[in-house]
Amino acid sequence: MINHFENLSIDPNELPGLEGINFKLIDPNYLKVSLISSVLFFVILIGGAIAIIEFSDIEEKINSYLISMSVIIILAAVNITLTILGFKKKQYALRQRDIIYTKGLIWSVRTTVPFNRIQHAELKQGPIERLYKINSLKLYTAGGQSSDLVIPGLPDKDALSMKDFVLKKTEEDGTKQS
Amino acid sequence: MEQNNHDFSIPQRQPSVAIGIILIKFFRMTIRAMWPILVSLIIGRRAGSTFDDIILYVVIGFAAYNLIGSVLTYFRFYYYIKDNAIVLDKGVLKKTRTNIPFERIQTINFSQNLLHRLFNVVSVEIDSAGANKSEISIDALSKDEAIALREYIIAEKEHLISESGTEEEKEISLDRSPSELLLHLTPSDLLKVGVSQNHLRSMGIIFAFVFTTMNELTNDIGDFVSDQFTQFESFAEHNTLFAFVVSAILVTVISFLFSLGNSLLKYYDLKLWMSKNGLKLVRGLLNREEVTINRNKVQMVSWSTNPIRKLFKMYTLQIAQASSSEVNAHKSKINVPGSYKEQLAKVINMVFPSEYLGTEVKHSISPVIKFRIVLFYGVLPSLVALSAWFLIQDTAFYFLLALPLSFFLGQAYHKKRSYEINEELIRSNGGIVGTENVLTQIHKIQAVKVKQSWYQRRKQLATIKLYTAAGEMSIPYIRLSEALQLENFVLYRVQTDKREWM
Repeated sequence: MINHFENLSIDPNELPGLEGINFKLIDPNYLKVSLISSVLFFVILIGGAIAIIEFSDIEEKINSYLISMSVIIILAAVNITLTILGFKKKQYALRQRDIIYTKGLIWSVRTTVPFNRIQHAELKQGPIERLYKINSLKLYTAGGQSSDLVIPGLPDKDALSMKDFVLKKTEEDGTKQS
Repeated sequence: MEQNNHDFSIPQRQPSVAIGIILIKFFRMTIRAMWPILVSLIIGRRAGSTFDDIILYVVIGFAAYNLIGSVLTYFRFYYYIKDNAIVLDKGVLKKTRTNIPFERIQTINFSQNLLHRLFNVVSVEIDSAGANKSEISIDALSKDEAIALREYIIAEKEHLISESGTEEEKEISLDRSPSELLLHLTPSDLLKVGVSQNHLRSMGIIFAFVFTTMNELTNDIGDFVSDQFTQFESFAEHNTLFAFVVSAILVTVISFLFSLGNSLLKYYDLKLWMSKNGLKLVRGLLNREEVTINRNKVQMVSWSTNPIRKLFKMYTLQIAQASSSEVNAHKSKINVPGSYKEQLAKVINMVFPSEYLGTEVKHSISPVIKFRIVLFYGVLPSLVALSAWFLIQDTAFYFLLALPLSFFLGQAYHKKRSYEINEELIRSNGGIVGTENVLTQIHKIQAVKVKQSWYQRRKQLATIKLYTAAGEMSIPYIRLSEALQLENFVLYRVQTDKREWM
């Protein structure tokens, strides 16, 4: 491989790259959780649309129903397809010094946060997630909202140990903050 | 420790002027939230309308609430020093006590608005660093007392650190070394800054303001406009060009005056001092603001210029520092317009290790981005306009102008966009009409993102984003292999660097 950066003291090709990293899929239950939440969302949306149409004084109600329902159904179909297809793209990996999370079917994003830059970590569980016993691990960095990392779909038994592992690593790697 | 005439150990209230200042602060907050109601009340008030009366009572009620609230706030507010920490007791319904130990205090900033200056008081903001972030602000202190307080805290802090602190702590202790006045915006420089402001932005602000105000005042803006301009309209119909030229000139002049006035208010008598450990900035005409920038907290330095400013050989310097609280976010980015090249160089040399500041190879981005820009800013708008032909008829042709425009946009963007990297620093260059450069130290990066759209994946390209504690740097459309090497190198440097990023 060519080295694009001749002026650096270390050849980036010699650094551990992405090859041979063991990316893990998140828990399949997360797919169920996201499907249930999008179905709920669209049910509420349909309810809202019905309420608006019924309470307004539109004369041609059938037309309004046809238009609004077909739009909602198309949106729902797209959303659900993307959710199902995109699920396989949600993967994470723990390396020696950082944590990686990838996602995105059309726009793929890979976020890497070094352990020594993590400010704190917390586990979150919504009501539907609780039913399926999965958690989201949220890692806060000083980089603000857009660089905080959320890894969803971690089963109860793994989530806590993973959080502890990350925090332990953070402590080992982190420079002391005064 | 010469100023022993102030005893800070006893809990004290602020001077009584503070009531007024707190009151005005409350009042401004209320007015900012409710001014549309007030304006419509004054202008559109009809006698005998019960609805208007109710609103009036609500407004009066709010004013009374403010008055009582600010008086109570004043009486329940105490500050004092205890066990080498500054303590603040406040709260009307819920009492809170904030406590910042001297070692953790990072900056002590004063600011003065018109009222403060009238009564010779300052408002004080004390900012701390570290994991448990907190911040203290005192609305009004007499100037002497504030200075004495600052001197006292700095002296005590130095004393504490010299007794028990580590070498490193000594280095970052509060700054007392002599400082050099690096930049002073003279009236002529201020004028140049005002003239070279982004007038298009002012135009946008004015338009937004006018339209929102009108929307609040009249429910039907269309009716309002046609009511007001019927006469003008019939005249304008026959003199379209004249009307266009007149309104264009009017808008230009207003925007120009607006940005001129704005820069006068904001940057009047701007002074930037530099010392070994940081920078200090004072600026403003009515609102005299003082900001201290700690060298270690600086995350990014950027400088930009536009064609007019370039004529004056001036740059806008922006220093982004890690802020300890979200509330204070506006203070985390400090703009110094009207900096000349040598002043720029001095600041950069102070903030970043100078041995790494040489010139490096400019890595350009993929030319493919030009096609994308033409597609998104040229072809797509034209297609949308043409497909809306039946609605807007011949006007659709004007949208075809987007094609050549987007072509030049793409050319300019690609030509100026590049990045440079060495062991220590990474710099991104960009701009379309002007130029914009951002420089940061690699070990200050907090997270790395590599993004690929569906199109980028096909072309083996990627966009890389680097996040620091005070903003992000993005390098779009570089080869995937290059992005991966960059990602690996940045991560390696971040993970092996034991220096503190703040």
